Amino acid sequence: MTTWLLERMEAWRDAPALVWADVHASYGDLLDAVAQWQVELDRQALGAGSVVVIEATFSPKACALLLALLERRAIAVPVTPGQRVHLEEFQGIAHAQATVHIADDDTFTVARHAPTGTHALTEKLRALGHAGLVIFSSGSSGAAKAVLHDFEALLEKFRTPRQKKCVLTFLLFDHIGGIDTLMNTLANGGTVVTTPSRDPEVVCALIAKHRVHTLPTSPTFLNLLLLSEAWQRHDLSSLQVIAYGTEPMPQPTLTRLAEVFPNAKLVQTYGLSELGVLRSRSRPDGSLWLSFSNEGFETQVRDGLLWVRSPAAMLGYLNAPDLFDGEGWLNTQDAVEVDGPWLRVLGRVSDLINVGGQKVYPAEIEAVVMSMPNVADVAVYGEKSPLTGQFVAARVNLVEPEPLDVFKRRLRAFCRERLAPYKIPVRIELTEDRQFSARFKKLRSPTS
Amino acid sequence: MVEKQAVLDIISAALKETLDQQGLPPPASITEDTVLVGKDATLDSLGVVSLIVEVEQALEQQHQVAVTLASDKAMSAKNSPFRTVGVLAEHVLETIKEEEEAARG
Repeated sequence: MTTWLLERMEAWRDAPALVWADVHASYGDLLDAVAQWQVELDRQALGAGSVVVIEATFSPKACALLLALLERRAIAVPVTPGQRVHLEEFQGIAHAQATVHIADDDTFTVARHAPTGTHALTEKLRALGHAGLVIFSSGSSGAAKAVLHDFEALLEKFRTPRQKKCVLTFLLFDHIGGIDTLMNTLANGGTVVTTPSRDPEVVCALIAKHRVHTLPTSPTFLNLLLLSEAWQRHDLSSLQVIAYGTEPMPQPTLTRLAEVFPNAKLVQTYGLSELGVLRSRSRPDGSLWLSFSNEGFETQVRDGLLWVRSPAAMLGYLNAPDLFDGEGWLNTQDAVEVDGPWLRVLGRVSDLINVGGQKVYPAEIEAVVMSMPNVADVAVYGEKSPLTGQFVAARVNLVEPEPLDVFKRRLRAFCRERLAPYKIPVRIELTEDRQFSARFKKLRSPTS
Repeated sequence: MVEKQAVLDIISAALKETLDQQGLPPPASITEDTVLVGKDATLDSLGVVSLIVEVEQALEQQHQVAVTLASDKAMSAKNSPFRTVGVLAEHVLETIKEEEEAARG
């Protein structure tokens, strides 16, 4: 039963729920919009178990539709306009019956699709009579994977009341972290501040204007924020928590953040499209070690890889074999280091570089290169070599122009004092292109 | 057309650079007979990888030619094309010629 969420929201009718451009939607406004959607969905005969794509950003109408689909136990497929080129493909994989397109002015259109069959997992969910959520996970390589969640199981953890916060939704409407932020905030009577752009200047202005408490974001953005010095031009004293996940944090960025935001708690989160966001706490020494709360889920390390078992885990992929073992444990494919109760995420196994049998995780090398003067950003990846299998390559964005030869010499001298020889980048290239995706996740492909 | 002397100069500079990276002293002189791999080798395997990438990058920067020197074919050749500076220079010229011909179709 998910009505608990809407019931809770009823109690806060007059409180601000969502800030979207100049629109301040209260909990009452959201609930009224949910009721309007129920009429529209009835009119469209999209009942329980229907699959509906929502092409939108975090607008009041889009959030209300998500809640309306949840309430009627339908299956919501959030997609952002940035993914438009994949829209048809996503509609097909999800076997969507309809797509609701919500425009920038919050008006909407509904497109109906011819039936294209169904998926065994979707049928399983319908038999349970639960609402569903499909998240398309970008994945570091290959086509997007469609992750099917039991939406009600995913939301179960938000039943435990927590502090009411004003949170900026940095992560997008089609991202597990974005949905997590939205639902967590609404379940506690907080306010969601949406941002039209992920430009540090815009984000900082919104934090100052709305006295935002929590900024859930990615290390890539935080690095950009530090470089832009946008934090110096806005009053960010309201920030209590800066949460970062989605990829390993370079230690130099973390250290610098602690200097710039001495009053904000820096919290590392661990989330996967397949699992939602898992509660964890960071070791108090400002390092990258974290410990899982294991509230409602279990963790295990097997052969250096993190496995998780959770009732909130996905039912499976709609277009790929799943990653569960016979006992329901999910292989996260993240390599971790263990120190007593503490874990450190080294990176995706698929990003691992194998140099003559020795393992190299790009995040480690990136952290070293990031701590060099005049480096704005870096992506480290493996390049094929018939001699050593692979070797380490680095593509670097500089702050100020510097000749490649001079920079190469400087980088190698710097790395020689800090890294084993096989970890030092062999190919070094300079680029002026940005090296992260629309989801602010690092791009590590050999050619970009 | 890339001249052999230009290629030798590139290899020589790349070798000095690679040795310097590995914290090794440069040889008293670099000639066509300077041994790169095998017995009396100057470089370890990672050093050879570095040298090859250096030479590839220099060819691209100075002569606008993009070649892959460490192909599977090169690795499986009966006589390693990376034995000495002179042999590597021949291999570079040969690879450039082959890739130009392939491009011409």
